[in-house]
Amino acid sequence: MLLEVDVEKRYSGFHTRAEFSLSSERCGVFGPSGSGKSTLMHLLAGLTDPDRGHIRLNDKTLFDSSRNINLPPQKRRIGVVFQHAHLFPHMNVRKNLSYGLKRRSSGANDIDPQQLIEVLQLTNMLERRVSKLSGGERQRVALGRTILASPDLILMDEPLTGLDAELKYKIIPHLQRVFSEFSIPVLFISHDLQEMRVMTDNVLVMQDGTIKRHLSTEALARSGSVSGRRYMNLLTLESPTDLGDLMRYRWGEVELMLVKTHDTGSGQFCLNASDILLFKQHPQAASARNMLSCTIRSTYQTDWLVGVELDCRGNTLIAEIVPQSIEELDIRPGNEIIAVIKASAFKRMY
Amino acid sequence: MMIRAKVVFCSVALMLMWTVAAQAGTLYLSVAASMTDVFQEIIALFSETYPDTKVLPNFASSGSLAKQIAQGAPADFYVSANTKWMQYLLENDVIIDSTCRVFAFNSLVFVGDPDTDISELTGITSLQKIGIGTPQSVPVGQYARQALEAAGVYQSLVDTRKLVFAKDTRQALLYADRGAVDGSFVYKTDALLARHAKVLFTVPTALYDRVSYPLALTVGGGAKDEATAFYEFMAADTVQAILVKHGFEPAD
Amino acid sequence: MLAVNDFSAIRLSLQVAACATIISLPFGYAVAYLLVFGRMRGKVLLEGVVNLPLVLPPVVIGYLLLLLFGKHSPLGSLLVRYGIEVIFTLKAAVIASTVVGFPLLVRSVRIGMENVDRRYMQASRTLGAGWWDTLFSVTIPLTYKATLAGMTLMFARSLGEFGATIILAGNIPGVTQTIPLAIYQYTSVPGGDAMALSLCLVSIGLSFGVLMISEAVNRSIPRR
Repeated sequence: MLLEVDVEKRYSGFHTRAEFSLSSERCGVFGPSGSGKSTLMHLLAGLTDPDRGHIRLNDKTLFDSSRNINLPPQKRRIGVVFQHAHLFPHMNVRKNLSYGLKRRSSGANDIDPQQLIEVLQLTNMLERRVSKLSGGERQRVALGRTILASPDLILMDEPLTGLDAELKYKIIPHLQRVFSEFSIPVLFISHDLQEMRVMTDNVLVMQDGTIKRHLSTEALARSGSVSGRRYMNLLTLESPTDLGDLMRYRWGEVELMLVKTHDTGSGQFCLNASDILLFKQHPQAASARNMLSCTIRSTYQTDWLVGVELDCRGNTLIAEIVPQSIEELDIRPGNEIIAVIKASAFKRMY
Repeated sequence: MMIRAKVVFCSVALMLMWTVAAQAGTLYLSVAASMTDVFQEIIALFSETYPDTKVLPNFASSGSLAKQIAQGAPADFYVSANTKWMQYLLENDVIIDSTCRVFAFNSLVFVGDPDTDISELTGITSLQKIGIGTPQSVPVGQYARQALEAAGVYQSLVDTRKLVFAKDTRQALLYADRGAVDGSFVYKTDALLARHAKVLFTVPTALYDRVSYPLALTVGGGAKDEATAFYEFMAADTVQAILVKHGFEPAD
Repeated sequence: MLAVNDFSAIRLSLQVAACATIISLPFGYAVAYLLVFGRMRGKVLLEGVVNLPLVLPPVVIGYLLLLLFGKHSPLGSLLVRYGIEVIFTLKAAVIASTVVGFPLLVRSVRIGMENVDRRYMQASRTLGAGWWDTLFSVTIPLTYKATLAGMTLMFARSLGEFGATIILAGNIPGVTQTIPLAIYQYTSVPGGDAMALSLCLVSIGLSFGVLMISEAVNRSIPRR
């Protein structure tokens, strides 16, 4: 897909300006509240008119002030999943889902309703009234509703904001499965970096109404300039083994020890880059349970630390250390190093 | 405490009596609407001779006035446009029988836009909207109804819903004058006040009772000097002259 | 208890109230929509004009309407030329009730609309529904209750409308003599009190009836 945008909008003290070209199918718009993300979403969907500019999606012009073109929202084939789902309260789940379905103009990529309902696990709640759904169920229905309209692009406006962490990460697998199975391009809007990392590969960073950067999500995560937060390593851990007061997981080829919590299944975990200690030599005895031999792939500069990209038997791990240590430990690409991680440093995402 | 309460009570009672006494110099007249202009002149004349009396006239249809008096409205003197309503009050013992006398006569005409195509009563059914005083309570309407029934056309007008009810003769006149109706039944005396409407025909007198205006003192009025003074004033020649001037026929 | 004429008055009252309410519905809805969702400059003015009949005495409204539709006014003479008569007809009674009740309808609908989250309508548009489609499939269903309340209020107000009606439509039995006019006539007639009271009871009964129906319909709309 190709989304070319150059728009400007001024209203009551705000000034939003966006110029970009996106070709990735998993893009994000990242920024704090008030940065203009919602405005951009409204402009793209046709819910607000820009003062001037143009919007083109896959060579179809949706808006062009110089040629007086302004397609109304229903003709743009851009779906929106709103932050609070906004399912129609006077309709049940089935009617909500079929709302867009009934109104779509048949095209090449028509979605099969049955398949989608199964993927989103909505089969058992079709007759339920919308008010009887939980927050997570609502978002799934909202997603289903938007997708069934067979849009060319879906804008997700902070769909996970406001859900608690557990719920959030329960929905993410649904989202990922849906988007991979039905291959619809997504523009994911959020102020949460972890959500961005999980859902997108490219991101536009907005602040004060303009787009400040356009880079890969991974690069953004590594840049460290995101409100001073350190890089989070995301690890998929499987094959849990109970070892009494510890759990052993497999991370690809690597075995990791984690503190046992109430949830002992496999899942997504995160590990703060600054929780990883680097040793030039293997510390024979230490309280930390994990000591991994890694090869240094590269280093990069963040705000005031240095990120070290490590290869641990095929897995990538990022550690952030102070610049002095680079010299002292002779950290150069190709060198071996030991990454030491406490069992308690890992946190479960979902 | 008790003494204080008694003092307050007495003062209030005195004040009330004083206000009531203050009204003693007021004269309440209830007069049929068709005599509005006549009585405004009579009152003006009366006030020259009796400047201390405050006269408060109430002009409306005779029927609604009768109802008000029967329900206790403070009227000292009543003028009706027909004997029916006077009779009603007599039966209700609110009128002093001996003061009751007919003092003027009137006649019925039909007024409307000069271009209206009608020259006599029987042609009334060709019109679309006809103004008439509410027959149940307005004498001019009662006389008109009587005439229309005698001519055999009233029911037809009712069935075809052409009658527009007015609350008194002046309103009926206004409707005709404004052109809101094709024409209205009013008194000859009212027709003189019309600005655009003209008399299209006179209603044959044989078809209705003579329009008679009785006047009388109410029981309450009989006890007031002002009221008896006014009653006697009504016999003056000057009053007769005013009646004639406005088109009424004075009784001998 | 009730004379033949009274049945006519009852029929007329219901007719006028129903006509006035039904005619006002699309316009009232449209005006409420403009006031809530519209983005134009003259909103304050529109609001003022719409609310005017609420604060003016009905007799004043009646007189102003008389001036507007009278034979000698520009509008009046235009209508006469096309053979349309307004003064002293059933049309006049409907107009009087419409003008007097319109602000009540708009007010109610407005409150309902202000409670509708605009994002429902936005969602509907992004799902492929055009403006009219959104109106009928989302906005109107979400404002049923408020609209119904407004209609009930307007209907009830019309059943009791007197001042503007008697001036613009006159007292014509069988044509414009609605219940309030009939009662008023009875109160001017000595001995008419029994009839007046009967009609009063009918009037109270009708008002209750309207309320009951409105409640019943209200309840049949599923809660969300």
